[in-house]
Amino acid sequence: MAAHNITADSIAAARGGGSLAGRFRHYVRTRPEGGIVVLFVLVQMVCIVAGLLVPAQFRYLIPANIRVTLQSVTPLGIMSLGVGMLMIAGEYDLSVGAIYSFASVFAATTTNLYFGGATNPIAPFLGMVAGIAVGVLAGIINALVTIKLRIPSFIATLGAMLLWNGGVLLYNGSAAVSFQPGSPFVNLFSGQIGVIDAGFLWFIGLAVAAYFLLHHHKLGNHFYAVGGNPGAAVAIGIRPFRVKMAAFAITGGLAAFAGMIAMTRVSSVQPGGGQGMELQSIAACVIGGYSLTGGRGSILGAVLGTGLVFTIQDILLLLRAPGFYFDMFVGALIVLAVVMNTAIRRKG
Amino acid sequence: MSATATLPRTASVAVPPLYEARNITKRYGNFHALRDMNFHIGASEVVGLLGDNGAGKSTLIKMMSGIVRPDAGEILIDGVPTRIENRSASERAGIETIYQDIALVDPMSITRNIFMGREITNRWGFLRHAEMERRAIEVLGSTVHISGIDDPEKEVGFLSGGQKQAVAIARAVYFKRRILLLDEPTSALSVRETEHLLDYVSRLRSENVSSVLVTHNIYHAFMVCDRFVVMSHGAKVFEAAKRDTTMEEVTDHVIRT
Repeated sequence: MAAHNITADSIAAARGGGSLAGRFRHYVRTRPEGGIVVLFVLVQMVCIVAGLLVPAQFRYLIPANIRVTLQSVTPLGIMSLGVGMLMIAGEYDLSVGAIYSFASVFAATTTNLYFGGATNPIAPFLGMVAGIAVGVLAGIINALVTIKLRIPSFIATLGAMLLWNGGVLLYNGSAAVSFQPGSPFVNLFSGQIGVIDAGFLWFIGLAVAAYFLLHHHKLGNHFYAVGGNPGAAVAIGIRPFRVKMAAFAITGGLAAFAGMIAMTRVSSVQPGGGQGMELQSIAACVIGGYSLTGGRGSILGAVLGTGLVFTIQDILLLLRAPGFYFDMFVGALIVLAVVMNTAIRRKG
Repeated sequence: MSATATLPRTASVAVPPLYEARNITKRYGNFHALRDMNFHIGASEVVGLLGDNGAGKSTLIKMMSGIVRPDAGEILIDGVPTRIENRSASERAGIETIYQDIALVDPMSITRNIFMGREITNRWGFLRHAEMERRAIEVLGSTVHISGIDDPEKEVGFLSGGQKQAVAIARAVYFKRRILLLDEPTSALSVRETEHLLDYVSRLRSENVSSVLVTHNIYHAFMVCDRFVVMSHGAKVFEAAKRDTTMEEVTDHVIRT
């Protein structure tokens, strides 16, 4: 039976052998984000080459374009980190767009009304804490309704979406709210370092934190377990309620934070600003290799999925394509990505 | 049937059994999954739990693992009344289970499945991947010889039924406590894999780990078990030590009841 034992050799062979090409093939076949990494790199290479060859017609590499693209990736990217973790845990949150709006309007109004507004440099920080608390609370409510009342999260959070969308109008009306924090706050969340926006650095920092939580922490491991096979997770002693509660709370908090990053950049917030983002973030995750049935996905996938969506948008803007092309291309991209990932996995 | 327990028997032996269930009843609506069931597991003993489909074997196993709570009755661990109402309680009592519907997570790696819920972490809860992989290789290589598992990073979803069962067994073996519950462990295994598993159960007995083997296969049961319990309609209908019975008698009770 010795031939069947696991050895260092058998492991190396199973992981693609000594060659770089073999290891790369193994990576693409086995990791959820394998396909999207290839696609993302290819698209970037084509864009960079085109930007170098015809810089006047395709202004992909000019600093203004890079800056704006990185800025626009940030809110949806931060949101997708949470939405993706929740998808891995086997649940959906359709209320993230509404939480994004409600929490930022709440943060802006509390900053303006209760914490002393622009005259007090601490005020926007307090407002932000209040906004994130609202987001986390909204996530916890989603978790309680979904798990305690045993209804699908798709329905529970669809209800929550309509509730928070209505709630923001009830609380604030449909007018935009001005948000003019002092310069420490603006610099921290929206300052510019070359072409890079501080908000983007927050996105990257949160992505790294999410990476360590999801892939290297016990809690992240339990997200995969409860999403991949709830029965097995229970049988082994993992409590789905606690795990899913954490995932919902993180998702709500990140959605709120994403809203506040966007609000800081434009110095105001629209009560309907987050509408549509719930499906966009699910789309970004699916493009990034997440499974709709839970248990599968990676932070790199969510980041590159969001990145690819906005690269496509950027390309269309640079080519001066009408706006409706964007939805068509993203629609095609979702289907293409899932077809590609499924094909890769069948081969693997 | 009444749910009230009869008077507990006084233990006739000086050393109480590792595990004892007295007068256990479990109902699902009007259906009695277990009725007034008495069951015990001694030290260094392999118990064969037999019976037709729907006899209540799986419910009994699930109750011992803490997944199912009894409606009435008493559970004693080492003679001490204990409530086992969730998985962590049964783990504390030293019980480890291999399920019929293999409790593995397909999109997770073999290593992560083995350590699922019992991850080796540092003090902040971050996973120690290298340590877990080392131990996974050790347990996969030394105890369960199943062909085709070449990499502990492989996703369980890519494994065959027998290989999955092997991973489940490796997990139970690694976390071996005092009592191993095997619910139809051989249904997905090849002949050779089955032989290895039954050998392993015997070997565990000599290391003072008791087992309960749920099976349809009376030959398998006779290969390793010291005692047989036959169930029917949620109740015990026959019980005998191996030396006091024959394969014909046990078969008769399984078929007749």
